[in-house]
Amino acid sequence: MIDLKPDTDMPKPLKVKPRIDLSPAKLRKLADEELMELVCRNEAVAFEVVMERHVDAAFSLAYRMIGRRSLAEDVVQEALLSLWRTGARYDRSRGSVRNWILGITHHRAVDALRRDGVRTSKNVSDEGLGERLEAPERTDAEAVRRDEARELRSALGELPAEQTQVIELAYFGGFTHTEIAAMLDLPIGTVKGRMRLGLEKMRGRLDTLEVLR
Amino acid sequence: MSRYDSDCGERGQAAAYVLQALERGEVERYREHLDGCAACSADVARLQPVADSLATSVPHAVASQELRARVMASVRSEAELLHAAGAAADRPEPARARWRARRPQFLIAAVAMGVGLLIGVAVIDTGSQAPTTHVTSAQVASLPLGAKAVLRQTGSHAELVVSGVSQPPRGEIYELWLARAGAAPEPTSALFGVTRAGDASVNVPGDLAGVHQVMVTAEPLGGSSHPTSSPIIVATL
Repeated sequence: MIDLKPDTDMPKPLKVKPRIDLSPAKLRKLADEELMELVCRNEAVAFEVVMERHVDAAFSLAYRMIGRRSLAEDVVQEALLSLWRTGARYDRSRGSVRNWILGITHHRAVDALRRDGVRTSKNVSDEGLGERLEAPERTDAEAVRRDEARELRSALGELPAEQTQVIELAYFGGFTHTEIAAMLDLPIGTVKGRMRLGLEKMRGRLDTLEVLR
Repeated sequence: MSRYDSDCGERGQAAAYVLQALERGEVERYREHLDGCAACSADVARLQPVADSLATSVPHAVASQELRARVMASVRSEAELLHAAGAAADRPEPARARWRARRPQFLIAAVAMGVGLLIGVAVIDTGSQAPTTHVTSAQVASLPLGAKAVLRQTGSHAELVVSGVSQPPRGEIYELWLARAGAAPEPTSALFGVTRAGDASVNVPGDLAGVHQVMVTAEPLGGSSHPTSSPIIVATL
Protein backbone atom coordinates (compact mmCIF):
# COMPACT_ATOMS: atom_id res chain seq x y z
CA MET A 1 0.00 0.00 0.00
CA ILE A 2 1.23 3.48 -0.73
CA ASP A 3 1.98 5.19 2.49
CA LEU A 4 0.91 8.78 2.93
CA LYS A 5 3.59 10.38 5.01
CA PRO A 6 3.45 13.62 6.94
CA ASP A 7 4.13 16.84 5.11
CA THR A 8 7.62 17.05 6.53
CA ASP A 9 8.61 13.90 4.63
CA MET A 10 7.15 15.01 1.36
CA PRO A 11 9.53 15.92 -1.42
CA LYS A 12 10.08 19.63 -1.46
CA PRO A 13 9.24 21.75 -4.49
CA LEU A 14 12.16 22.24 -6.83
CA LYS A 15 14.21 25.33 -6.15
CA VAL A 16 13.63 28.09 -8.60
CA LYS A 17 16.40 27.99 -11.17
CA PRO A 18 17.68 30.96 -13.12
CA ARG A 19 15.39 31.88 -15.96
CA ILE A 20 16.42 30.27 -19.22
CA ASP A 21 15.85 31.65 -22.67
CA LEU A 22 13.11 29.36 -23.94
CA SER A 23 12.97 30.72 -27.45
CA PRO A 24 12.77 27.91 -30.00
CA ALA A 25 15.97 29.11 -31.67
CA LYS A 26 17.89 28.79 -28.41
CA LEU A 27 16.30 25.51 -27.46
CA ARG A 28 17.17 23.94 -30.78
CA LYS A 29 20.84 24.44 -29.94
CA LEU A 30 20.56 22.42 -26.74
CA ALA A 31 21.41 18.73 -26.48
CA ASP A 32 18.59 16.29 -25.83
CA GLU A 33 19.79 15.73 -22.28
CA GLU A 34 19.64 19.46 -21.53
CA LEU A 35 16.18 19.67 -23.04
CA MET A 36 15.01 16.80 -20.85
CA GLU A 37 15.96 18.82 -17.78
CA LEU A 38 13.55 21.49 -18.99
CA VAL A 39 10.92 18.87 -19.79
CA CYS A 40 11.15 17.78 -16.17
CA ARG A 41 10.22 21.37 -15.30
CA ASN A 42 7.12 21.02 -17.47
CA GLU A 43 8.38 23.27 -20.25
CA ALA A 44 6.22 22.31 -23.20
CA VAL A 45 8.34 24.25 -25.67
CA ALA A 46 11.39 22.14 -24.75
CA PHE A 47 9.38 18.99 -25.19
CA GLU A 48 8.33 20.16 -28.64
CA VAL A 49 11.96 20.38 -29.72
CA VAL A 50 12.64 16.86 -28.42
CA MET A 51 9.52 15.61 -30.15
CA GLU A 52 10.44 17.20 -33.47
CA ARG A 53 13.86 15.57 -33.34
CA HIS A 54 12.60 12.06 -32.77
CA VAL A 55 8.96 11.77 -33.80
CA ASP A 56 9.80 10.54 -37.29
CA ALA A 57 12.12 7.84 -35.92
CA ALA A 58 9.44 6.73 -33.48
CA PHE A 59 6.78 6.71 -36.17
CA SER A 60 9.07 4.83 -38.56
CA LEU A 61 9.53 2.10 -35.96
CA ALA A 62 5.85 1.91 -35.05
CA TYR A 63 4.82 1.84 -38.70
CA ARG A 64 7.35 -0.88 -39.49
CA MET A 65 5.90 -2.96 -36.65
CA ILE A 66 2.20 -2.32 -37.09
CA GLY A 67 1.84 -1.55 -40.77
CA ARG A 68 -1.12 0.79 -40.36
CA ARG A 69 -0.65 4.51 -40.19
CA SER A 70 -3.53 5.25 -37.80
CA LEU A 71 -2.55 2.60 -35.28
CA ALA A 72 1.11 3.49 -35.56
CA GLU A 73 0.24 7.12 -34.83
CA ASP A 74 -1.79 6.06 -31.80
CA VAL A 75 1.22 4.14 -30.51
CA VAL A 76 3.57 7.07 -31.05
CA GLN A 77 1.12 9.45 -29.40
CA GLU A 78 0.95 7.18 -26.36
CA ALA A 79 4.72 6.89 -26.26
CA LEU A 80 5.34 10.63 -26.56
CA LEU A 81 2.79 11.51 -23.89
CA SER A 82 4.33 8.88 -21.66
CA LEU A 83 7.70 10.54 -22.26
CA TRP A 84 6.23 13.93 -21.33
CA ARG A 85 4.61 12.61 -18.18
CA THR A 86 7.54 10.52 -16.98
CA GLY A 87 10.47 12.55 -18.25
CA ALA A 88 11.77 12.84 -14.72
CA ARG A 89 12.75 9.20 -14.93
CA TYR A 90 15.12 9.73 -17.82
CA ASP A 91 18.60 8.66 -16.75
CA ARG A 92 21.26 9.83 -19.19
CA SER A 93 23.71 7.22 -17.89
CA ARG A 94 21.48 4.52 -19.35
CA GLY A 95 21.49 5.70 -22.92
CA SER A 96 20.48 8.43 -25.31
CA VAL A 97 17.14 10.19 -25.31
CA ARG A 98 16.56 8.81 -28.81
CA ASN A 99 17.04 5.23 -27.68
CA TRP A 100 14.80 5.87 -24.69
CA ILE A 101 12.02 7.19 -26.89
CA LEU A 102 12.41 4.32 -29.32
CA GLY A 103 12.39 1.87 -26.41
CA ILE A 104 9.10 3.30 -25.13
CA THR A 105 7.67 3.22 -28.66
CA HIS A 106 8.74 -0.39 -29.12
CA HIS A 107 7.15 -1.43 -25.84
CA ARG A 108 3.91 0.35 -26.73
CA ALA A 109 3.86 -1.16 -30.19
CA VAL A 110 4.39 -4.67 -28.81
CA ASP A 111 1.59 -4.05 -26.33
CA ALA A 112 -0.68 -2.92 -29.17
CA LEU A 113 0.19 -5.94 -31.30
CA ARG A 114 -0.48 -8.34 -28.47
CA ARG A 115 -3.56 -6.51 -27.21
CA ASP A 116 -5.32 -5.53 -30.38
CA GLY A 117 -4.51 -8.48 -32.58
CA VAL A 118 -3.41 -6.30 -35.47
CA ARG A 119 -0.85 -8.81 -36.58
CA THR A 120 -2.52 -9.78 -39.82
CA SER A 121 -1.39 -6.59 -41.48
CA LYS A 122 1.93 -6.10 -39.77
CA ASN A 123 5.44 -7.21 -40.59
CA VAL A 124 5.34 -5.23 -43.74
CA SER A 125 8.54 -5.82 -45.63
CA ASP A 126 10.64 -2.82 -46.50
CA GLU A 127 9.86 -3.25 -50.15
CA GLY A 128 6.20 -4.00 -49.67
CA LEU A 129 4.99 -0.83 -48.03
CA GLY A 130 1.65 0.03 -49.51
CA GLU A 131 2.29 3.70 -49.18
CA ARG A 132 5.68 5.28 -49.43
CA LEU A 133 6.30 7.53 -46.52
CA GLU A 134 9.82 8.54 -47.31
CA ALA A 135 10.75 12.11 -46.63
CA PRO A 136 13.35 14.09 -48.52
CA GLU A 137 16.71 14.11 -46.81
CA ARG A 138 16.83 17.52 -45.26
CA THR A 139 19.92 17.60 -43.12
CA ASP A 140 23.33 15.99 -42.92
CA ALA A 141 22.30 14.36 -39.64
CA GLU A 142 19.34 12.71 -41.33
CA ALA A 143 21.52 11.53 -44.17
CA VAL A 144 23.93 9.97 -41.68
CA ARG A 145 21.05 8.29 -39.87
CA ARG A 146 19.76 6.83 -43.10
CA ASP A 147 23.18 5.52 -44.01
CA GLU A 148 23.37 3.96 -40.58
CA ALA A 149 19.94 2.43 -40.99
CA ARG A 150 20.99 0.91 -44.30
CA GLU A 151 24.09 -0.56 -42.67
CA LEU A 152 21.98 -2.01 -39.89
CA ARG A 153 19.53 -3.54 -42.34
CA SER A 154 22.44 -4.93 -44.27
CA ALA A 155 23.88 -6.48 -41.09
CA LEU A 156 20.52 -8.05 -40.32
CA GLY A 157 20.21 -9.27 -43.91
CA GLU A 158 23.60 -10.94 -43.79
CA LEU A 159 22.52 -13.28 -41.02
CA PRO A 160 21.41 -16.81 -41.89
CA ALA A 161 17.75 -16.61 -42.88
CA GLU A 162 16.55 -18.67 -39.93
CA GLN A 163 18.21 -16.24 -37.50
CA THR A 164 16.85 -13.15 -39.25
CA GLN A 165 13.41 -14.74 -39.18
CA VAL A 166 13.20 -15.28 -35.42
CA ILE A 167 14.69 -11.86 -34.67
CA GLU A 168 12.22 -10.11 -36.95
CA LEU A 169 9.26 -12.08 -35.64
CA ALA A 170 10.23 -11.20 -32.09
CA TYR A 171 11.34 -7.60 -32.41
CA PHE A 172 9.14 -6.30 -35.20
CA GLY A 173 6.29 -8.78 -34.91
CA GLY A 174 5.91 -8.70 -31.14
CA PHE A 175 5.71 -12.47 -30.91
CA THR A 176 7.01 -14.26 -27.83
CA HIS A 177 9.53 -17.08 -28.14
CA THR A 178 6.76 -19.55 -27.31
CA GLU A 179 4.57 -18.22 -30.12
CA ILE A 180 7.47 -18.29 -32.56
CA ALA A 181 8.32 -21.88 -31.62
CA ALA A 182 4.71 -22.92 -32.24
CA MET A 183 4.53 -20.96 -35.49
CA LEU A 184 7.72 -22.49 -36.89
CA ASP A 185 7.20 -25.88 -35.26
CA LEU A 186 10.55 -25.68 -33.49
CA PRO A 187 11.64 -26.39 -29.93
CA ILE A 188 11.74 -23.25 -27.79
CA GLY A 189 15.44 -23.83 -27.15
CA THR A 190 16.14 -23.71 -30.88
CA VAL A 191 14.29 -20.42 -31.22
CA LYS A 192 16.21 -18.89 -28.31
CA GLY A 193 19.46 -20.23 -29.71
CA ARG A 194 18.82 -18.65 -33.10
CA MET A 195 17.98 -15.36 -31.44
CA ARG A 196 21.20 -15.41 -29.46
CA LEU A 197 23.39 -16.45 -32.38
CA GLY A 198 21.83 -13.82 -34.61
CA LEU A 199 22.29 -10.99 -32.13
CA GLU A 200 25.86 -12.08 -31.37
CA LYS A 201 26.72 -12.05 -35.06
CA MET A 202 25.10 -8.66 -35.52
CA ARG A 203 27.07 -7.41 -32.55
CA GLY A 204 30.30 -8.45 -34.21
CA ARG A 205 29.29 -6.94 -37.53
CA LEU A 206 28.19 -3.66 -35.99
CA ASP A 207 31.35 -3.43 -33.91
CA THR A 208 33.26 -3.54 -37.18
CA LEU A 209 31.08 -0.82 -38.64
CA GLU A 210 31.34 1.19 -35.42
CA VAL A 211 27.58 1.64 -35.47
CA LEU A 212 27.22 0.73 -31.79
CA ARG A 213 28.42 3.59 -29.66
CA MET B 1 25.84 -9.27 -4.41
CA SER B 2 26.00 -10.33 -7.99
CA ARG B 3 27.93 -13.47 -8.83
CA TYR B 4 29.41 -14.61 -12.11
CA ASP B 5 28.26 -18.08 -13.11
CA SER B 6 29.17 -18.99 -16.65
CA ASP B 7 27.11 -22.19 -16.30
CA CYS B 8 23.97 -20.36 -15.25
CA GLY B 9 20.94 -22.17 -16.61
CA GLU B 10 19.24 -18.87 -17.53
CA ARG B 11 21.88 -17.70 -20.00
CA GLY B 12 19.73 -18.66 -22.97
CA GLN B 13 17.17 -16.04 -21.95
CA ALA B 14 19.15 -12.88 -22.61
CA ALA B 15 18.49 -12.62 -26.35
CA ALA B 16 14.76 -13.21 -25.94
CA TYR B 17 14.71 -10.69 -23.11
CA VAL B 18 16.33 -7.87 -25.07
CA LEU B 19 14.05 -8.62 -28.04
CA GLN B 20 11.09 -8.38 -25.65
CA ALA B 21 10.12 -11.94 -26.57
CA LEU B 22 9.84 -13.48 -23.12
CA GLU B 23 6.39 -14.38 -21.88
CA ARG B 24 4.83 -11.87 -19.53
CA GLY B 25 5.40 -14.01 -16.45
CA GLU B 26 9.00 -14.71 -17.38
CA VAL B 27 10.03 -11.08 -17.59
CA GLU B 28 9.70 -10.28 -13.90
CA ARG B 29 11.41 -13.50 -12.88
CA TYR B 30 14.27 -12.84 -15.26
CA ARG B 31 14.71 -9.29 -14.02
CA GLU B 32 14.96 -10.57 -10.47
CA HIS B 33 17.48 -13.14 -11.69
CA LEU B 34 19.57 -10.41 -13.32
CA ASP B 35 19.98 -8.72 -9.95
CA GLY B 36 22.00 -11.69 -8.72
CA CYS B 37 23.67 -13.04 -11.84
CA ALA B 38 26.63 -11.19 -13.29
CA ALA B 39 26.92 -13.55 -16.27
CA CYS B 40 23.37 -12.94 -17.44
CA SER B 41 23.69 -9.22 -16.72
CA ALA B 42 26.77 -9.14 -18.92
CA ASP B 43 24.88 -10.97 -21.67
CA VAL B 44 22.08 -8.42 -21.54
CA ALA B 45 24.53 -5.51 -21.49
CA ARG B 46 26.24 -6.91 -24.58
CA LEU B 47 23.08 -7.70 -26.55
CA GLN B 48 20.83 -4.77 -25.58
CA PRO B 49 22.60 -2.26 -27.87
CA VAL B 50 22.12 -4.66 -30.77
CA ALA B 51 18.41 -4.90 -30.07
CA ASP B 52 18.25 -1.11 -29.69
CA SER B 53 19.91 -0.73 -33.08
CA LEU B 54 17.08 -2.65 -34.71
CA ALA B 55 14.80 0.29 -33.91
CA THR B 56 16.90 2.57 -36.06
CA SER B 57 17.26 0.10 -38.91
CA VAL B 58 13.76 0.67 -40.26
CA PRO B 59 13.00 2.67 -43.42
CA HIS B 60 12.45 6.33 -42.73
CA ALA B 61 8.84 7.49 -42.60
CA VAL B 62 7.34 10.83 -41.69
CA ALA B 63 4.89 11.39 -38.88
CA SER B 64 1.89 13.49 -39.86
CA GLN B 65 1.37 17.08 -38.78
CA GLU B 66 -1.89 15.97 -37.18
CA LEU B 67 -0.04 13.61 -34.87
CA ARG B 68 2.39 16.34 -33.86
CA ALA B 69 -0.49 18.74 -33.24
CA ARG B 70 -2.42 16.22 -31.13
CA VAL B 71 0.58 15.49 -28.96
CA MET B 72 1.46 19.12 -28.45
CA ALA B 73 -2.15 20.06 -27.65
CA SER B 74 -2.14 17.59 -24.77
CA VAL B 75 1.32 18.60 -23.64
CA ARG B 76 0.53 22.32 -23.66
CA SER B 77 -2.72 21.89 -21.76
CA GLU B 78 -1.03 19.78 -19.10
CA ALA B 79 1.93 22.16 -18.88
CA GLU B 80 -0.42 25.08 -18.29
CA LEU B 81 -2.08 23.19 -15.47
CA LEU B 82 1.20 22.20 -13.93
CA HIS B 83 2.55 25.74 -14.06
CA ALA B 84 -0.72 27.16 -12.73
CA ALA B 85 -0.64 24.71 -9.85
CA GLY B 86 2.62 26.11 -8.56
CA ALA B 87 1.13 28.71 -6.26
CA ALA B 88 -1.47 26.31 -4.91
CA ALA B 89 0.87 23.41 -4.55
CA ASP B 90 0.82 23.32 -0.76
CA ARG B 91 -2.83 24.14 -0.27
CA PRO B 92 -4.99 21.16 0.59
CA GLU B 93 -8.46 20.86 -0.77
CA PRO B 94 -11.23 21.59 1.70
CA ALA B 95 -13.33 18.58 2.56
CA ARG B 96 -17.10 18.55 2.79
CA ALA B 97 -18.22 18.47 6.39
CA ARG B 98 -20.76 15.68 6.20
CA TRP B 99 -18.56 13.50 4.13
CA ARG B 100 -15.64 14.18 6.45
CA ALA B 101 -17.69 12.94 9.39
CA ARG B 102 -18.44 9.69 7.60
CA ARG B 103 -15.05 9.00 6.09
CA PRO B 104 -12.33 10.60 8.18
CA GLN B 105 -9.57 8.67 6.47
CA PHE B 106 -10.29 10.50 3.24
CA LEU B 107 -9.82 13.87 4.91
CA ILE B 108 -6.57 12.77 6.46
CA ALA B 109 -5.36 11.62 3.11
CA ALA B 110 -6.40 14.81 1.38
CA VAL B 111 -4.59 16.95 3.91
CA ALA B 112 -1.51 14.78 3.68
CA MET B 113 -1.35 14.98 -0.09
CA GLY B 114 1.64 17.21 -0.47
CA VAL B 115 3.14 15.25 -3.35
CA GLY B 116 2.11 16.49 -6.71
CA LEU B 117 -0.73 18.54 -5.29
CA LEU B 118 -2.17 19.99 -8.44
CA ILE B 119 -5.41 21.86 -8.62
CA GLY B 120 -6.80 23.29 -11.78
CA VAL B 121 -9.06 22.85 -14.72
CA ALA B 122 -8.27 23.49 -18.35
CA VAL B 123 -10.82 23.75 -21.06
CA ILE B 124 -9.67 22.67 -24.46
CA ASP B 125 -11.66 24.01 -27.31
CA THR B 126 -11.78 21.18 -29.79
CA GLY B 127 -13.73 23.13 -32.36
CA SER B 128 -17.25 24.31 -32.80
CA GLN B 129 -18.48 20.89 -33.93
CA ALA B 130 -16.74 18.90 -31.22
CA PRO B 131 -17.64 18.76 -27.53
CA THR B 132 -15.42 20.67 -25.14
CA THR B 133 -12.86 18.72 -23.18
CA HIS B 134 -12.25 19.63 -19.55
CA VAL B 135 -8.96 18.50 -18.09
CA THR B 136 -8.76 18.37 -14.31
CA SER B 137 -5.45 17.67 -12.64
CA ALA B 138 -5.66 15.45 -9.60
CA GLN B 139 -3.96 15.27 -6.26
CA VAL B 140 -1.61 12.33 -6.22
CA ALA B 141 -0.33 10.91 -2.96
CA SER B 142 2.12 8.50 -4.43
CA LEU B 143 5.81 8.01 -4.55
CA PRO B 144 7.96 8.27 -6.55
CA LEU B 145 7.97 11.98 -7.09
CA GLY B 146 6.61 12.81 -10.51
CA ALA B 147 3.41 10.80 -10.33
CA LYS B 148 0.65 12.60 -12.20
CA ALA B 149 -3.02 12.14 -12.84
CA VAL B 150 -5.52 14.06 -14.90
CA LEU B 151 -9.22 13.58 -15.46
CA ARG B 152 -10.40 14.32 -18.98
CA GLN B 153 -14.11 15.00 -19.46
CA THR B 154 -15.59 15.22 -22.92
CA GLY B 155 -19.35 15.45 -22.94
CA SER B 156 -20.63 12.61 -20.76
CA HIS B 157 -17.41 10.64 -21.13
CA ALA B 158 -14.57 10.88 -18.64
CA GLU B 159 -11.20 9.21 -18.52
CA LEU B 160 -8.63 9.17 -15.74
CA VAL B 161 -5.07 9.15 -17.07
CA VAL B 162 -2.30 8.41 -14.58
CA SER B 163 1.45 8.16 -14.93
CA GLY B 164 4.31 7.38 -12.63
CA VAL B 165 2.02 5.82 -10.03
CA SER B 166 3.32 2.95 -7.92
CA GLN B 167 2.08 -0.56 -8.51
CA PRO B 168 -0.78 -1.53 -6.17
CA PRO B 169 0.33 -3.70 -3.27
CA ARG B 170 0.59 -7.42 -3.97
CA GLY B 171 -2.87 -8.98 -3.99
CA GLU B 172 -4.59 -5.64 -4.47
CA ILE B 173 -5.88 -3.59 -7.36
CA TYR B 174 -6.79 0.04 -7.83
CA GLU B 175 -10.48 0.88 -7.63
CA LEU B 176 -12.13 4.06 -8.84
CA TRP B 177 -14.80 5.77 -6.72
CA LEU B 178 -17.25 8.58 -7.30
CA ALA B 179 -17.98 10.91 -4.39
CA ARG B 180 -20.99 13.18 -4.23
CA ALA B 181 -21.23 15.96 -1.69
CA GLY B 182 -22.31 14.72 1.68
CA ALA B 183 -22.38 11.08 0.67
CA ALA B 184 -20.00 8.20 1.06
CA PRO B 185 -17.94 7.36 -2.04
CA GLU B 186 -19.71 5.04 -4.45
CA PRO B 187 -17.79 2.11 -5.91
CA THR B 188 -17.49 1.74 -9.67
CA SER B 189 -16.69 -1.20 -11.89
CA ALA B 190 -13.36 0.40 -12.82
CA LEU B 191 -10.64 -1.80 -11.36
CA PHE B 192 -7.19 -1.34 -12.81
CA GLY B 193 -3.47 -1.85 -12.51
CA VAL B 194 -0.68 0.22 -13.96
CA THR B 195 2.12 -0.58 -16.36
CA ARG B 196 5.69 -0.92 -15.19
CA ALA B 197 6.03 2.76 -15.96
CA GLY B 198 3.07 3.42 -13.68
CA ASP B 199 0.76 4.41 -16.51
CA ALA B 200 -2.94 3.69 -16.98
CA SER B 201 -5.95 5.12 -18.76
CA VAL B 202 -9.25 4.31 -17.14
CA ASN B 203 -12.72 5.09 -18.43
CA VAL B 204 -14.86 6.46 -15.63
CA PRO B 205 -18.10 4.48 -15.58
CA GLY B 206 -21.42 5.94 -14.68
CA ASP B 207 -22.93 9.39 -14.56
CA LEU B 208 -20.76 12.22 -13.28
CA ALA B 209 -23.75 14.45 -12.57
CA GLY B 210 -23.39 15.72 -9.03
CA VAL B 211 -20.06 14.03 -8.57
CA HIS B 212 -17.73 16.12 -6.45
CA GLN B 213 -14.61 13.99 -6.59
CA VAL B 214 -13.23 11.04 -8.50
CA MET B 215 -10.93 8.96 -6.32
CA VAL B 216 -8.71 5.93 -6.48
CA THR B 217 -7.87 3.57 -3.64
CA ALA B 218 -6.01 0.27 -3.45
CA GLU B 219 -8.44 -2.55 -2.70
CA PRO B 220 -8.37 -6.34 -2.54
CA LEU B 221 -8.60 -8.06 -5.92
CA GLY B 222 -12.21 -7.99 -7.05
CA GLY B 223 -12.77 -4.59 -5.54
CA SER B 224 -14.62 -3.40 -2.46
CA SER B 225 -18.07 -2.01 -1.80
CA HIS B 226 -16.60 0.63 0.49
CA PRO B 227 -13.07 2.01 0.65
CA THR B 228 -10.68 0.07 2.84
CA SER B 229 -7.74 2.41 2.40
CA SER B 230 -7.03 6.08 1.95
CA PRO B 231 -7.18 7.45 -1.59
CA ILE B 232 -3.99 7.79 -3.54
CA ILE B 233 -5.60 9.96 -6.23
CA VAL B 234 -8.30 12.57 -5.83
CA ALA B 235 -9.64 14.64 -8.72
CA THR B 236 -11.94 17.39 -7.52
CA LEU B 237 -14.44 18.48 -10.14
